[in-house]
Amino acid sequence: MGTQPVAVTSLLAEPMVRRRAGLWTDAWRRLRRNRLALAAAAYLLALVGVAVLAAFWTPYSTTHQGVVLPYQGPTAAHPLGGDALGRDVLSRLMGGAQISLLVGVGTQVVVLVLGVPLGLLAGYFRGWLDAALSLVINIFYGVPDLLVALILIVLLGHSGLGQIIFAIAVTRWMDMARLVRGQAMSLREREFVEAARCCGSGTFKILSRHLLPNALGPIIVQATLGIPQAILFEAFLSFLGLGVQPPTPSWGSMAADGVQAIRISPHIVLAPTIALSVTLMAFNFVGDGLRDALDPRQRR
Amino acid sequence: MRWRGTLLYIGQRLLLIAFTVLAVSSIVFIGIHRLPGSVFVSERLRASQMQALLHQYGLDRPLWEQYRDFLLGLLHGDLGISYVNQGVRISPLVGREALVSAEVGGLALLFTIGLGMLLGVLAAIRQNTWLDYLFTSTAVVGYSMPNFVIATFLLLIFAVFLQHLTGGLLYYQIGWTGTFGSLGEIAIPAFALGFPYASVVARLTRASMLEVIRQDYIRTARAKGLPEQLVIVRHALRNALIPVITILGPLVVGILTGSVVIENIFGIPGLGKEFVQSILNRDYNIVVGVFTMYAALVGIANLIVDLLYPLIDPRIRY
Repeated sequence: MGTQPVAVTSLLAEPMVRRRAGLWTDAWRRLRRNRLALAAAAYLLALVGVAVLAAFWTPYSTTHQGVVLPYQGPTAAHPLGGDALGRDVLSRLMGGAQISLLVGVGTQVVVLVLGVPLGLLAGYFRGWLDAALSLVINIFYGVPDLLVALILIVLLGHSGLGQIIFAIAVTRWMDMARLVRGQAMSLREREFVEAARCCGSGTFKILSRHLLPNALGPIIVQATLGIPQAILFEAFLSFLGLGVQPPTPSWGSMAADGVQAIRISPHIVLAPTIALSVTLMAFNFVGDGLRDALDPRQRR
Repeated sequence: MRWRGTLLYIGQRLLLIAFTVLAVSSIVFIGIHRLPGSVFVSERLRASQMQALLHQYGLDRPLWEQYRDFLLGLLHGDLGISYVNQGVRISPLVGREALVSAEVGGLALLFTIGLGMLLGVLAAIRQNTWLDYLFTSTAVVGYSMPNFVIATFLLLIFAVFLQHLTGGLLYYQIGWTGTFGSLGEIAIPAFALGFPYASVVARLTRASMLEVIRQDYIRTARAKGLPEQLVIVRHALRNALIPVITILGPLVVGILTGSVVIENIFGIPGLGKEFVQSILNRDYNIVVGVFTMYAALVGIANLIVDLLYPLIDPRIRY
């Protein structure tokens, strides 16, 4: 009997603490059980490390020619050998990781900045704004996105990293806008939004304090799954010679160079293509894991 | 009554397609003609010669006049004249290339649907066996890998390793002889083009098959004593296909865009290769023409797929 007061206070205190961290602790617990997603996340962390490292140090220069014999196979000094111009493949692979991650994350930042407010406003206000947004989205869905990005790169006058990010983001924002619009549309009918409106909360406050936090889970999942898409787009553009301009290394252009020499030295094409595949797969695993963790109701 | 609704729907969709094509082509046309420099810059001509060339191609006229002529030509199916290969008419050229692309794309579509469905059904009826795990993990790899990576691996296997293995007797020759390649030449590019989407189809087929197979009418069919193959093919697969049909649209678009890369790797003289080449050559008439054509093709492909739904699933109506 003597312990009862303690139990009561803890009962009173605990749910308060837990409710505050509910979604995130729950999500973390679910994510922790997903070994595949964790392994993928670990790989991606390592990749970020490599990309940061590449900004300061690579074993050899990423652009200097003739640091290895051209077409040199893997050796102790050059673990991944040299390319057609005698550049160190490992160093270029590290530089390429940097480009890929920059494009992937950069694109998603632009997509978030563009898609989230547009989707929120269209879903909350409906009316002409929603109609206009839906029309634009439908037009964008009517044209193949990769080709739009390609054309945009041309129109922007070949290309720095900023233009590439912009071009990819322009073709990728609709998914995010549509998702947020749907979320806003269903959330605006819920009681807590009505309650907030009754309390006299302004539109901005309702959108930012009530709608946005409740839509955050799906937004995070969508943004994560958008990163490999953007990386793929960049690789695609660079593969065709329209993305990152040489001599800056990109996995796409490295693969294109490698295909030219596929008969002589396959290692040149294998290194970037394997790195690209594993990275895309890792992002997909993490994204799927996050979806299962953050958004358990949504089925794949 | 029912047909009126359908016709109205088709009309609306065609309007949207026309609007999309118009919007896309105007943006690309105007954008591309505002770019500094022209195709002829690299030819080091005297000012008077340059002027003559620009005049010959009508490039010295106001932009809106050029655009009007472009639109009028478009209505007649005339995409103008190539700047780089001077005097070559674009429409017949692009038409032939579209056929080549359609050939490869069609085979890829066959691969995608056939292989995807086969793997999906097999994985579903052998759920939780090693076969299921093998197919499911292959599918994950398949849709995570860009098609040019798959193409590269196929080249490595069939063009390089196979040659070493058989002592040069049997291997895939990179490149393309004649306008329309032989089946052997098409098969590998088509496979590379279709494989990522085959994994998507397989995943979808498996999931919907698993759902359908647990339903009562399947149990009834089995209870009647129907052979298992008939139950699967005639009863289960039919209904399991409905969700698969829904991704046919994106699939066609994906194969269309995928061909841009695949044709460049395998040296296939199709629309995709032309598109990239003309961009690199600054042959802007072709860029605008091919892009317009892509937009129209995608719109029409999506419309056809949407019109197929009600034929397969009578519950859907427009």
